[in-house]
Amino acid sequence: MATQLLERYLKNVAKGLPETQNEDIVRELREDIQSEMEDRERELGRALTEDEQMAMLRQRGNPWVLAARYRQDGRSVAFGKELIGPVLFPFYLKVLSFNLGLTSVVVGVIFAALALSGHGVRAGDMFSTFLLQLFIQLSVVTLIFTLIERHLAEHPDRWNLGGTCGTLRLDTKVAENMPVPFEGKRKIARLESVSIIIASAVALVWMTGVRTYPFLILGPAASFLKLAPVWYQAYFPIVLLTVAEIVRAVINLVEPDWVLFRHVYGLFVHAGGLLVVYYLIRGGVWLIPESGGPTSALQVLNQVIYGVLIVTAATSGTTLAVRSVKLVRKIRGRRVAGNGAR
Amino acid sequence: MAHGTNNGLFENLRLELRRGSLVVAVLAALRKEQYGYTLRKTLEEQGMEIDEGTLYPLLRRLEAQGLLASEWREEEKRNKRFYRLSTEGKAILKQLLAEWESINESLKGLVR
Repeated sequence: MATQLLERYLKNVAKGLPETQNEDIVRELREDIQSEMEDRERELGRALTEDEQMAMLRQRGNPWVLAARYRQDGRSVAFGKELIGPVLFPFYLKVLSFNLGLTSVVVGVIFAALALSGHGVRAGDMFSTFLLQLFIQLSVVTLIFTLIERHLAEHPDRWNLGGTCGTLRLDTKVAENMPVPFEGKRKIARLESVSIIIASAVALVWMTGVRTYPFLILGPAASFLKLAPVWYQAYFPIVLLTVAEIVRAVINLVEPDWVLFRHVYGLFVHAGGLLVVYYLIRGGVWLIPESGGPTSALQVLNQVIYGVLIVTAATSGTTLAVRSVKLVRKIRGRRVAGNGAR
Repeated sequence: MAHGTNNGLFENLRLELRRGSLVVAVLAALRKEQYGYTLRKTLEEQGMEIDEGTLYPLLRRLEAQGLLASEWREEEKRNKRFYRLSTEGKAILKQLLAEWESINESLKGLVR
């Protein structure tokens, strides 16, 4: 067990080390910690308990902070004041590169699908969609990491060997002989389930209203515009997906431990949502004129809706891909944990 | 409240002062070859406590600057990285010790 705790600690340190020196630094740290543990065992005249080992590792501090001390670059993100410090910067860069890479692929696939299905796709549309995604991803990832940085500064001792630090879990790769449960003992908060049930129920009522009273979504423009038939065709699948989400939230309200269930179920709902968005994009026209109404703004509005749908599809596709990868890792982690326990 | 602030300020200044002396302490301790853990113990015994998160990156920096040399060797059935002062390190240490003596003398004069 001593080796396991130590190896898990070192694995977390290694994540933040420069690749070229990674092995050498870990080897030396291992030697240092082992020497200290052996000294302590000699003093006590017995083997250290798991708690004592953990206390010794804790004394050495957050593994990511320790790793950052070995990096000479000191890179950070600052906007006036420092937002993301050297400890989190490499992880920030990794997440951002991964997200942008995945987004590029998803945007490319969506535009390729549209082009193949006979829609006129312009390079400008693709470029502006990608720029928008870049802006969104950069803002969101930077904001999240800024919050984590603040949390880390306020609570430097909140970390664990599962690879979590300041509410952040970045790397879930676990060596085959290291049974680390991915999700730990986390539960789905009942408050979260109740919020989803309420929000989805409100959305259902609103959708039913929009169907009969389009001004709920079009506002004053409802006098000269109306929703295209594609919305009415997509109405039932959207309602079905919303109801599915309510069912899921009710189940998790009763069974908050069913975390894996939520992930698997969520993937199907998410995939269904993506299909609906794709179907809407294929519709081509989303607003049509009321008989005799002005049509000058219509083209612009349809263009805007087209852009919004494309961005939604790209974001949704990216999220789906990320969640799928996480789920596969989680299942693999559980299998490893199961094998280790056997 | 003011007493607490003074304590905090003193602690910061104390650490700053000791941090400045760490390089000299490490170089001086490595006139005799040692590996990381025993070096840490030696420094601790002499009242220069240093945590490993500071020591090992410092050792790497000093080695990269050519002041230390290191090699992995087996001892007590375990591979350990032994550090020792390089020729350049010896020369720098001599200069630093002279500088330290000079600062010490100046301070003695100032506080007398």
